[in-house]
Formats: sequence, structure tokens, C-alpha cells
Amino acid sequence: MSAQPTSVAGLVGRRLLQLPFIVLAVYTLTFILAWSVPGNPLENPEGRRPPAEIVEAMKKQYKLDDPVAFYFDYLGKASGVAWLLGRDDVPADLPADLRPPIFDLGPSLKQPDWSVNEILATGLPVSITLGLSAMLLAVAIGVFAGVVGGLKPGSAADFLTQLVAIVGISLPSFVIGSALLMLFAVQLGAFPVGGWGGVSYVVLPALTLSLPFAAYISRLVRFGMIEEMGADHIRTARAKGLPRWKVAFKHALKNAFLPVLSYLGPATAIALTGSFVVEKVFAVPGVGQHFVDGVLGKDITLVMGVVLVYSTLMVVFNLAVDVLYRFVDPRIA
Amino acid sequence: MRLFVPIILLVLALVAAVSLDRPLPPADLVIVDRSDVYTLDPQRMSYQHELRRARVIYETLVNIRAEDCEIVPGVAERWEVSDDGTTYTFHLRDDAKWSNGDPVVAEDFRRTWRRAILPDSAADYSALFFSIKGAKEFFDHRQRLLADFAAAKAAGGAPDAQELWRDTLAAFDEMVALRAPDPRTFVVELNAPLAYFLDLCAFPCFAPVHGPTVDAFVSIDPASGRMIQRHDWTKPGRIVTNGPYVPTVWRYKRDMRLELNPHYWNKGAVVARSIECRTIENPNTGVLSYESGAVDWLTDVGPEYKTEMLAERRAYLERFKAELDAGLALGGRVDDVVAALPEPGRGERRNVRGFNAFGTDFFSFNCRPALPGDRANPFHDARVRRAFALAVDKQTLVDRVTRLGERVASTLVPHDSIPGYPRVDGLGYDPERARAELKAAGWEDRNGDGIVEDANGVKFPTVDILYSTSSPRYQNLALAMRDMWKRELRVAAECRGKDSKLYKEDLKKGNFMIARGGWYGDYGDPTTWLDLQLSGNGNNDRGYSNPEFDRMLAEANAEKDPARRLELLAECERWLFTVEMPMLPLCNYVSVYGYDPVETAGMTDHPRLEQDLSTLGPRERRAEVAGGRGRAVQTPAAQDGLP
Repeated sequence: MSAQPTSVAGLVGRRLLQLPFIVLAVYTLTFILAWSVPGNPLENPEGRRPPAEIVEAMKKQYKLDDPVAFYFDYLGKASGVAWLLGRDDVPADLPADLRPPIFDLGPSLKQPDWSVNEILATGLPVSITLGLSAMLLAVAIGVFAGVVGGLKPGSAADFLTQLVAIVGISLPSFVIGSALLMLFAVQLGAFPVGGWGGVSYVVLPALTLSLPFAAYISRLVRFGMIEEMGADHIRTARAKGLPRWKVAFKHALKNAFLPVLSYLGPATAIALTGSFVVEKVFAVPGVGQHFVDGVLGKDITLVMGVVLVYSTLMVVFNLAVDVLYRFVDPRIA
Repeated sequence: MRLFVPIILLVLALVAAVSLDRPLPPADLVIVDRSDVYTLDPQRMSYQHELRRARVIYETLVNIRAEDCEIVPGVAERWEVSDDGTTYTFHLRDDAKWSNGDPVVAEDFRRTWRRAILPDSAADYSALFFSIKGAKEFFDHRQRLLADFAAAKAAGGAPDAQELWRDTLAAFDEMVALRAPDPRTFVVELNAPLAYFLDLCAFPCFAPVHGPTVDAFVSIDPASGRMIQRHDWTKPGRIVTNGPYVPTVWRYKRDMRLELNPHYWNKGAVVARSIECRTIENPNTGVLSYESGAVDWLTDVGPEYKTEMLAERRAYLERFKAELDAGLALGGRVDDVVAALPEPGRGERRNVRGFNAFGTDFFSFNCRPALPGDRANPFHDARVRRAFALAVDKQTLVDRVTRLGERVASTLVPHDSIPGYPRVDGLGYDPERARAELKAAGWEDRNGDGIVEDANGVKFPTVDILYSTSSPRYQNLALAMRDMWKRELRVAAECRGKDSKLYKEDLKKGNFMIARGGWYGDYGDPTTWLDLQLSGNGNNDRGYSNPEFDRMLAEANAEKDPARRLELLAECERWLFTVEMPMLPLCNYVSVYGYDPVETAGMTDHPRLEQDLSTLGPRERRAEVAGGRGRAVQTPAAQDGLP
């Protein structure tokens, strides 16, 4: 949000023009890092080792013997350029439902039965659902706690919510997640232990993921409320005889919420991409854990594919928040 | 507030998205693995949990019955072996069908085995096929053709990849002694008699794949001439299988559902009609999920829980020791006897069980003449290797370090795991003799500084112990052994933990003196273990190379009398672990399963520990089916040590 273009259309156009360059830079950096990870993705970390000829044959097949060739080949396929130019590695008589997609992120090197596109297609909806649910919870919890504290700073309620907020920020999610699992899933049996499929499966992981964000939001709202409640227009509203809760929620919160809105963009992106610990703890089949496993196993195609999609998502999310901001706060335009 | 409208829409959308993604209806058997299968292509797999699944999705010519590891008919209803032991003629059963109703024919096997042998397939296990006459020659021939193709291409020519492929197929027909004279007969000729060939034929990599389904995803790369295979044919809806089950759902790293194959010839012997295989990577969550009752079989109880849970089982069995012994004395199976006992009390449990696995935990000695960078390697000397092996108190390691009470091992092949193979014992714990061996090798503490030196006063180099940080088990073992060596042998030693990729690199480069290892056997013959020590074997991390051993093993293998052959192989192993000592075996791995014998029946405790998912299932259903695939069997003896 540095330079302020004059119109929404200008903003959107400019950002979309920047998009390919940002993504290309991310692609290049990630490629250098992923390639320099030691090891061979085609070998199992444990146990059997295929004969040397076999390893060579596999390396050739996936162009792992030549970083430059791999870089451009993958970029071409992933960006759809190869599709536009016509692919010579796809037989012409291949039936339509078997042809590679326009944006072909390649086969996973560790899981030869799955393409990166398929892995993202199954994992991304799960990660997005989990991330957005967590953000909703975070806003609900954060705003409530922030208003409670902000209306009576220094009160017992304020102290308590702030304490919970500090705990939420400081405790790592695998601790909170395991504690919630022990309490609600194992002891009380209120929720399933792990997996996915149905609202009951979402509650605990979303709650775990939301807590640090909720804590931060509550602090933002609390400071905003303290500031707003002393402002002139609030005093006017109170003077008109409006009830206290109405003033707080209708007049003060509207402005106190603005910093939260600008935080939501990056926070949502972090919730979507940073959920791998929560995904592991709750056995949620999202993209995060695939990505971590990809990095650990040097599954280059999987890592590159996830990074490409996520960096595109990041740019789009930040753009969406900027656009939203203009509608909520006309002063910016 | 206008803001509420999008929020409510978002909530509705999320609820809708989550609700549409329903869990599947309950299956007869629910199992949890630590990782998803990497592939359902039987020629490409190499992990245990993959092979276990392949055994019930595909059917090989013959099956290995889980209870006793006997060879029983599979797709082949009978077979003959020629007098010289080199030609196998399999007669395929009439009613063997693919899951789409196609008959399983001999040509399916011939084409699948071709696929496994072709270097283009990059199959980890292709070497298992090289005992077939002409297979290795064909593999090398194809490699040469591809190299020539690349050379012609580089020289500016335009060789035709399709023509090369046609030549390759013709060469296969000509060179490799696999014949399908009619749809029901499959003839295999071997280079030399192979005592365990039928056992190999039951290995999932020898299972057939459905030609028309797989071929739709094969293309010939015009640039390299290679055959390129995509694996989309393994997806539910496309995959065609010939085993008891067909995968109907496979959601990556989430779950796989197997349903009874309607065309399977031996449906009546299948216990669970549907199996759900879930993936839970976090060991903690896996145990919690099992404890919450949603899982029938947790295939790998998390390391943090194993010791405590097994102790609770021991406490339970201790209380009912008399009843247990009586039941076992009557010839009952452990699970059946335990299931009939009263409920466990507080601090007791019967829903977990440890088994000795068909695997051995060991540390490798680097046997190469020198370390990288031309550093001296004292472990090139077998006396030094023996000294280090003799100085390790393995019983203490399994009791106090791994705390699983594994069966201590002094050799590689687990005792009693292969019928007819004698128990071989290697060097045990003898610190006195260890010091003598070291002294004989010229190392003793001459100046009294607490470190041994050679005759020239050069100190014994600091022992470099390499382990992978993938599990705390290896670190704990490495540290404990370091202290034993320091104490007993007066050497300086340091442990070096590395991430598993870097560890593997160091292993390959020979950059270690002592390194953690481990091996699981693939088939029921000692060679699946002893081949590891052959010069130049791809898994010989030790760089051990002794022409004498290579000769002994080849001679033993060539022996025609099976009993004598096993004796000769035992001779090889005895020599390895009393004289040569290329590695230090510690113990046999213990697999800890979570399952309740009251609910789930059919778990085998045969030492090869090859569970057959088609014979596992609810106890009452299992009683109806009685025995599962193959004929009814006698009860084998329970494993020693871990009831």
C-alpha cells in the first residue's frame, strides 16, 4: 500500500501487470534454494537403493541432470507457455481427459502416481477452508475480546482477555493443538481426533489455527476502541442518549476495525500457507503438510508448484484487501 | 451493517464446502498407516506398507500364505518344475479375472515382467528379474540402444524413436526366455536353478498389471527414445486389478478405500468386504485416533508410546499367566487365547502387541581400505571390526536404550524366519576378547594416556559414528555405543548426526567409520540378506569386498540340494559374523501394532510378519470364512519372547 493510484481499476491493472514479475522472481529464488538442497528426490531416504543405471535413467526422464533445462522446461509447462506453443512430449492421439492441463505443474517426484496439479486440487480446497474458517473465528474472538477490554481498560475482564491473548500468541500451535485434542477429542469425545469431512472435523484445527490471529486482532481492536471511545463523535453520540453498546459497536468499532482489515490480508495468506503444523497435528489433508514433506524430500516439482500457486494467491489476496479498504474507508481514495 | 452480508455468505460457503466433503461409510476394517502409499504400480513400489496393499490389490502366480509363509496357488492353479530346476511351467486357472471381467492370461505376465525389466521403467526391483534367462542381457541391450540413440541424436542424425521401440520389443521376444504358448500356460526359463524362485513369483513386483489400461499412458519420447509412463492409470475408476480388492477411493495422503473385487475367483475366502486405509503422519495423532476407537489396526504405534503400552500388555498377561499358558499349551493362537481372557483392568491393556519383524537393526563398519581424502581407515582390518563388535553389550542396549526389549542379534538373518535355515550365531559380548583382538591388530595403550596407539605411537583415529537424525532411536544407540567403545577399548569416538539425505550421501561416499544401518528381508531366502555383502552390491554401504565371500556365496547358491544349499549359506553367514564382521548386528526390529484381538482376528505372527489384509477382519466374520486365502492350515508355533 505504498503509492496510491487514482482509481480502483488502475490499482487492479497495475498489480496484475506486476504479478508475473513477482511470481517469476519467487520462482527463480525458490528454484535456486530447492535445487541446492542436498540429496536425490528419486531415492528413498531409507532402505533399498535402485541400481545406478536406474537412478541415471530416472534423472534423465525428469531432467534432474541439468538445472538449466529443468528451470526453463518447468517454467514453460507451469506458466502455460508450453501449452500455447504445443507440447511435443504429449502424443497427439492422447484422449482429451488424459492430456496435461494448461498450467502443468509436473508429476510429483516422490509420488509418481500423482501430479502436482492433482495434489493441489485435493489439498488446496481443504487448506483454504481451514484457513478461512480460522480467520472467521479469529475475527469473532478477537473483536469480542478487544471490545470487552477496550470499553473498560484496566478492568478484570480486560486483564483476563489480554492474558489469554498473550498466551495465544506465545504458545506454539502444536502445544495448543495437542492440548485441545486431549481435552475435547479424547477425554470428552466431542470431536473426532483427526481427519477431514464434516463440520465437526473443522472446529478444533480451525480454533488452534485462529488463536494467534485472534490474539493479535484483540489487541488491535482494544487499542482502537480505547482511542475511539474518547473521540468527539463518540461523545456526541453518547450526548444524543444512544445506548452504550450501540455507540460501541456501531460508531466506535467501525473505525477501530480499520487496522484489523489491513491486517486481515497478510494474516489470511499466512493462515492459508502456514497451517502445516496444524495440518500435521490434526491429520488434515491440506497443502501445507504436502509442501513440508516436499521440501524435506527434495520433491522439486511439488515445491515449485506449491510456491507458484501460493505466491500468486498472496498477490491476489493483498490486492483484494487493498480494494476492500477503499470501499470501507473512502478517505484513502 | 453491510459488512455482515459477505461474512454470512462466507460462513455458508465454508459450511457447504465442508459438508459436501463427507467421510466415507464405515468399512469392515479400518487401518492407519504412518504414510500414504507412494504408488499403486506394483513394479515401482518398494515400501512395506505399499507391498502389503499390493498383495491384496493384485494377485501373483502363486501366493504366500500369511499364517505359515507356505507357497499356495494364486493365478496359477498348479505348476511344474523341470528336472534340472531351470524351467517353470505355470498353468493359469480358468476363473482368474481382472476387475473389469477380462480373463487373466499368460501374456499379461509376460508383458508385465517385460515392463519390470525394461530400464525405462526405472523399477527399484528390476534386479530380482535377472535370474530369468536373457533378462540381464536384454536390460543391457536396451541401455546400449538408448545410448546409441542419444549419440546419433547428438551427431545431428534423426533416429526414429518408434522404430527403436519396435526393435526393442522384438529383441525382448528373442532374448528373454518367457513364453506364453497359450493363454493358460506361462513358461519361465532361468539361468540356473533358483531355490526361492516361487517365493519371488509371489513378490508383488511380479504381479501382473492390466495391459490395455496401462498402455494408454505409455508414450515414446521422440527426443530420447525412452518409453515414458504416466501413472494416472492407478487412480480409482481407471485402475483394473486382479486381486481380492479394487481401490474405489484414493485421496492423496488422506485415505484409500478397497472394495471386494466382484470378479475375484476366491471371493469366499476374503474376510473384510471393504477396507479403509487412512494416513495419519503424526504418530501422536495416530495413537489418539486409535485410542478413540475409530481404528481397527494401527500399523505402527508411535515411538513415544511403544514402551509404556507394551508394559501395560505385559502387566495384563502377567495377571492371567496361568490361563494364557494353558491356552497356548492346547495349541491355541496367542490372539485367540488373549481374546477369551477377562477384560483388562486399570493400567493394563491387550489391544497392543509387539512382534519380531523380518528385519535387523545393525551398524555398518566401513571396510574400505581408506576413508575419503586418503585418511587411514583402521576398520579395514577385520580384527578391529571384531574388537568393536565384541565390545558392545547389546542386551543393555535393548533393555535400557531402545527400551523395547528386542531380541538381540549377532547375525543378519532373523532366527527361525526361514524354514530349514539353521540358527547361526555370530560374535557375542566379550570385552576381554575385544581388547585382545585390538591388541592383536597392533593397537594398545603404550604411553598410558587412556587412548590406544599403534607400534609407531600413532593414536587410534577418533572413531566417526554416523547416524541419521530421522529418529531419536539412532542417536540414543550411537551415543550408548560410543561410551561402550570408549570404556572397553580406550578409543576416542564422536557421534555425528545428519539429516537422512545427508546421511545417505555420506554413506554412499563412504564418509564414516561406523554408520547406522538396517534391513528388512524381501523374500524367504537367506540371500535377501547375504547379498548385501557382495562386492559392488548397490546396498553394500560398507564397501565390503572379499572375493572369497563372493565365491563362497556363489558356490552355495549353485548347490542343487535345497537342504545342503541352506547349510552352505549358513556357513557363509557364520564366517561373516565370526570372522569378517562387515557389520555389527544389534537386534531384530520389533513392530508394535495397535489392534484389539477381541475385535480383529487374522493377524499372523509368522517370523516373516507379512500381514495379509484379505484375511484380517472382524472376529465373527473371520470365523465364517475360516482361514482366508489358501487352504486351512495348522497352527504354527507362536513367536518366542513376545506373546
